Amino acid sequence: MSKFFKVILKNIIQGPSTIQYPFEDSPAPKKLRGKIVHNADACVACHLCEYVCAGGAIKMQESEDHQGIDFVVWHDTCTFCGLCEYYCPTKAIHLTNDYHTAHVQADKYNYVEKTFVKKQPCICCGEPMVPISPAMVEQIYGQDGDVRGLSKMCPQCRRKILWKGGVSKS
Amino acid sequence: MNIAGFLVNALLFPGGLFAILLGLFLTGLDRKIYARLQRRVGPPIYQPCIDIVKLSQKEMVIPKTANYTAFRLAPLLGFAGMLAATAVIPVAGIYSGLYQSGDLLVVLYLLSAPALALVIGASASGSPYSSIGLSREISIMLAYEVPLLLVFFTIAMRVGMATGGTAIFSLSSIVNFQLSHGSLLFDLTLLPVFVAFLICIPGTLGVVPFDIPEAETEITEGPLLEYSGMGLAMFKLTGGLKMLVLAALTVTLFFPVGLGDFWLVNLVWFIFKCILVMFFTTTLIRAMQARMRIDQAYKFYLLVPTALALVSLVLTATSFRVG
Amino acid sequence: MAEWLQSIVKRSPWIYRINAGSCNGCDVEMATTALIPRYDVERLGCRYCGSPKHADIVLISGPVTAVVKEKVLRVYDEIPNPKVVVAVGICPISGGVFRESYSIASQLDAYIPVDVNVPGCPPRPQAIIDGIAMAIEIWRKKF
Repeated sequence: MSKFFKVILKNIIQGPSTIQYPFEDSPAPKKLRGKIVHNADACVACHLCEYVCAGGAIKMQESEDHQGIDFVVWHDTCTFCGLCEYYCPTKAIHLTNDYHTAHVQADKYNYVEKTFVKKQPCICCGEPMVPISPAMVEQIYGQDGDVRGLSKMCPQCRRKILWKGGVSKS
Repeated sequence: MNIAGFLVNALLFPGGLFAILLGLFLTGLDRKIYARLQRRVGPPIYQPCIDIVKLSQKEMVIPKTANYTAFRLAPLLGFAGMLAATAVIPVAGIYSGLYQSGDLLVVLYLLSAPALALVIGASASGSPYSSIGLSREISIMLAYEVPLLLVFFTIAMRVGMATGGTAIFSLSSIVNFQLSHGSLLFDLTLLPVFVAFLICIPGTLGVVPFDIPEAETEITEGPLLEYSGMGLAMFKLTGGLKMLVLAALTVTLFFPVGLGDFWLVNLVWFIFKCILVMFFTTTLIRAMQARMRIDQAYKFYLLVPTALALVSLVLTATSFRVG
Repeated sequence: MAEWLQSIVKRSPWIYRINAGSCNGCDVEMATTALIPRYDVERLGCRYCGSPKHADIVLISGPVTAVVKEKVLRVYDEIPNPKVVVAVGICPISGGVFRESYSIASQLDAYIPVDVNVPGCPPRPQAIIDGIAMAIEIWRKKF
């Protein structure tokens, strides 16, 4: 019983330890897994994130005019597990540490992160294709290694050029 | 009888409005101090008033298995009893009490009104959780009434034997005796009875460690389960008033001496003493103890405070004096 | 007068929690917002109450499984008006990770009108306090 008196005395001296949240800011740790941000320039539309998503929140669909791919993440099913960020080869998808996720019912189906991955024409045949991001090009060919511009061609043209010219770099 | 004076005393001061506000203030202060003892910022002190205002605006849902009349009238029974008790207790230096003899027994009788109201309301609800709560409430009420009666009897005998011949059951006589002979708190033969009375207070109020009837996590709020809206507001008001009545009774019975003649100073001193009593019996005990089981609780009440009160009773009856 | 009463009343919402088949992750977070000194919700005037008849704001967690659906609807009917429903976690909003399971009846707003959503698995206690603050605003207007 006397131990409790010491605890109570210590509590009175130390004062409240509450973070009064709505009236003062509560800092989030840096590695907190919060809302998703997608960088359309770095995305290569490999659909890996859609495959591994735990809650089925990511949907990537080709747009109707075939000019790009619609990327949609619905935050109301996202589990904030981080699997998409772990498996993305170009690090195009990223979880911020924004935890302010409460919203009213009227906003339920608008609570999305929506980006558009634009297709670019192939420099050889002109067909629209999803571009390979600069980060991935650097990973495959090294710095300034893409001398023949192979990364800007669609897969069919790339195959034709390589077949004609062999595999060496010249 | 002076009707106007009586009405003012019953409805405004010190009964009625003043008692309701003071009772709610005491409850709010108790919650705030309890939170600060746990390193939390508690609710504001006027929070119980806001709770009552909000509850009076919600609809009252009456279950289908309930006895309609008893369900709606039960809260009023406890509230009326406590309101009457606040008009009876004298405040030294300001208000001399309502009756001249026998009002100690009236207060004892009225103190059991809220518990009875809870029992009637719970049995009128027709829910199994309520019946568990009400059986526990009855057991603990029977347990704490025994030492309470012994305490009142001892004090009445002490005052009576020192002034006249037999026991005097009158609060104003007790107050007058203390004003002329010094507070009963400093009399060492009555110290066990003081401790016994302080131990009885948490049981009467339904505060941890004796809040078994209202054990929130075990039987989902027990007897008050089916109440909502105005009925629940009445029960909460009754709880606040009961805390005030018990604190005021402790002050009146043991240390009612005021500070001088000015009525405002006496009033503030009285409120300060009530807050002290409430702190040491309710808040501090609540912050340190866990809830007891029902059999542990009534065995405790039938043994410890009863033994203490009996010691004092024997010492008083044999006119034993210390020092 | 009505305005003044409304502004008083919003300072004392009483909260009741319903677990509609959840994994208890969101329940633990909801419990910490009340009990732990760091996120104390009692300073806003809220109180966790033990009976649905005393409640104003209802926090529901868990996907509505087929077994528990009837019971959740019964408890919901016992709460006196006016009341506000807050769906905590992603499970009541859309089924969460259990979306295509055979035991999930449907999402919560097919049965009960939901007012505020707080996604997250589980949401941070500060996000739950945000949700409660939004719910208090909606509740105030219903009086």
